[in-house]
Amino acid sequence: MTKFIGIMLLSVILVSVLAPLLSPYDPEEINLDELRRPPSLRHPFGTDNKGRDVLSRVLYGGRISLSVAGIAATLSLGIGLLVGLASGYAGEKIDTVIMVFVDFILAFPSLLLAIGVSVILPPGVYTVMIAIASVGWASFARLVRGHVLSLRSMPFIEAARAIGCSPQRILLVHLLPQCVPLVIVMMGVRIGGYILTEAALSFLGLGAQPPTPTWGSMISANRVFVVSAPWMVIFPGLAITATSLCFNMLGDILRDKYGLKISG
Amino acid sequence: MLGITALTFTLTKALPGDPALSLVGERARPEVIESIRKELNADENVLIQYVGYVKLLMKGEFGRSYYTNRKVVDDLIIKFPNTFLLAVGAMMIAVPTGILLGFLSALRRGTLLDRSISCLSVVGLSMPVFWAGILIMLMLSLKLRLLPPAGMGDFRFLIMPSLTLSLPALATLTRISRTTLIDLFPMPYVRTARAMGIGEKRVNAIHVFKNALLPIVTVIGLDFGSYLNGAVLTETIFGWDGIGRYAMEGIMKRDYPVIMGCILVGTTLYVLINLVVDITYHYLDPRVRLHSGND
Repeated sequence: MTKFIGIMLLSVILVSVLAPLLSPYDPEEINLDELRRPPSLRHPFGTDNKGRDVLSRVLYGGRISLSVAGIAATLSLGIGLLVGLASGYAGEKIDTVIMVFVDFILAFPSLLLAIGVSVILPPGVYTVMIAIASVGWASFARLVRGHVLSLRSMPFIEAARAIGCSPQRILLVHLLPQCVPLVIVMMGVRIGGYILTEAALSFLGLGAQPPTPTWGSMISANRVFVVSAPWMVIFPGLAITATSLCFNMLGDILRDKYGLKISG
Repeated sequence: MLGITALTFTLTKALPGDPALSLVGERARPEVIESIRKELNADENVLIQYVGYVKLLMKGEFGRSYYTNRKVVDDLIIKFPNTFLLAVGAMMIAVPTGILLGFLSALRRGTLLDRSISCLSVVGLSMPVFWAGILIMLMLSLKLRLLPPAGMGDFRFLIMPSLTLSLPALATLTRISRTTLIDLFPMPYVRTARAMGIGEKRVNAIHVFKNALLPIVTVIGLDFGSYLNGAVLTETIFGWDGIGRYAMEGIMKRDYPVIMGCILVGTTLYVLINLVVDITYHYLDPRVRLHSGND
């Protein structure tokens, strides 16, 4: 099972990276002679409302989806790691203040907050990354903080303090490496959700702007034709589901393996 | 609560878009823009604006929409029951089905049934809500012509949006109930009950299911946020006249009082639901009762 998911994940990533080589047509090339053609040998996923090849667009959409989710996850990880370390190590008042803020972010309906962020900034790929990360860091911070709290009283930290290590050194040299595996596992668990959020934001028109193909925007642009040309909606959706499924299963495996208690 | 108002307020004010501009269009004469800005008090200091807003809130008002000039409170009062109905509909689908599937899966652990349920629930978690919604719409109403495709109306209009909204919650609940139950089976008190010769059904019903309720209630409560998230998408697809779509339209038009109102109502609801969950704990788990008694 693990091997199977590994192969699936790898192929999803490879296919997106190699999209320019694999896609049979230019994803933005408009061909008015072949509007809304059903799937055929020439166009395995059919063509869309402007005669563009849906397969090529799905392949290119994967690049955006994966890179946005990946970068958003890395950003969340970075911010969450720093905040969590600081909060857990500082303790007392600073910890309380930071954690109230984290709870506040977690209490927000996350999509609304992400939508809010993507309205402040002009719509686009970077905005989606920032929007996802501005919500996502909170759960990382919470996890790291809990871990730091449990590590703080460990003998090796006390020893480090006793031989006169500065707080910065304890944080960076002794605590940070202990938290890295934890947050990487957490990233694996979360990334499937980020792919869904990216899709939702671009579905709402807040993501990468046309003509750049994204899975979410392909669905929203073509949903009026869903009866006469369902392939334009079905294939991008399948791509989202398959990708997110791969990452979610990876997340499950990681969670089981490391016994992580992460809700959601 | 004050924190929420302050944050959302600065957030919305930080938007670069000028409501006066988007209201009359870029090409309006400067004098017109100026007069509207004055009407909206947009030129005043942000702090003064904020104090003004809090004063308004104290009176139980959210201000007026920049576009329709209707009171946001009135709109919210009209739209809230719709979203509530949708959420209740989704819960009525998700909670019983999710718990049932989770329990079935845990009781028949390792069988084909268990595997297919687990598999389906991961797929459910990975499916984008809006896509599932469109597919459901395509199947049930456009192909089979069983239900009206979108809009508001009687009970038949409610089915598809609540089904769509329930999917992610259903998947989460199934997974949580399954793992909770599986964690409980090897507990010493369950083994004791079995050793005492209590029938399998009785052990499951009294000793396992009852104790599994606690984490499940938590998930039901905490999942409310996901209903709000889902509502934005589901209501947009199905043309459901609720808070989610209202918020979305407000955000698109930079209608600040509307955005503020929706976020405030949403967050307040979330906090209230958490409170209800905590109180429910009190009844379900004697340990919590004991603990709070000592405080």
